[in-house]
Amino acid sequence: MVKIRLRRMGGHKKPFYRIVVADSRAPRDGRFIEEIGYYDPMKKPADIKIDAEKAQKWLSTGAQPTDTVKTLFQKNGIV
Amino acid sequence: MDVNEIARQSLLYDFYGQLLTDRQREITELYTQENYSLAEIAEELGISRQGVHDAVRNARKALEGYEEKLGLVQRFLRTEEAVSRIDQEILTMIGLLQKLDAPDTAAESPMKEPAGTETQELVRRLKKVKSIIDRLEE
Repeated sequence: MVKIRLRRMGGHKKPFYRIVVADSRAPRDGRFIEEIGYYDPMKKPADIKIDAEKAQKWLSTGAQPTDTVKTLFQKNGIV
Repeated sequence: MDVNEIARQSLLYDFYGQLLTDRQREITELYTQENYSLAEIAEELGISRQGVHDAVRNARKALEGYEEKLGLVQRFLRTEEAVSRIDQEILTMIGLLQKLDAPDTAAESPMKEPAGTETQELVRRLKKVKSIIDRLEE
């Protein structure tokens, strides 16, 4: 199954998340199929950027967003 | 998990993660850094979903407990905000000074030159302060 999840990047005390499309079977090796946006919680207000077109494309092919990604999508009017 | 919550747990983990047990650390990492669901973690580690749930809850309780006592994350966030505001102010000041300096240079008035040099020196020093701040944020 293909999932849309957050993946933490950024150094120590600098959380920064990529929104990635990845195979749910992919082990923790950092591989992903495509990056469709990011979420920077350290910015005030938090900086969220999502490629709506790509997100829609992946959702329509049945990719499953995590609950966290779902709320990000909702905030940005994607679903 | 809510988006603000994942960021907060992740930051708490950065500060106090070393104080957790190895198992709690492993599970918290998957949960907050890789955004795995409880079911996915259970499958990955070959333990029950309930076991993962308990570990997540205990780890969170421990992390929040440390924060309550030490308040390092709160202090860090306040400092970050203050530093970023100071950084912005300096940038504005540099901009203002450069604007102030520009007409003089254009007119090439010899009378104004000392003022211009002082302004340039001020800009140079402000840039130095800014570079100290920028290095701090790296």
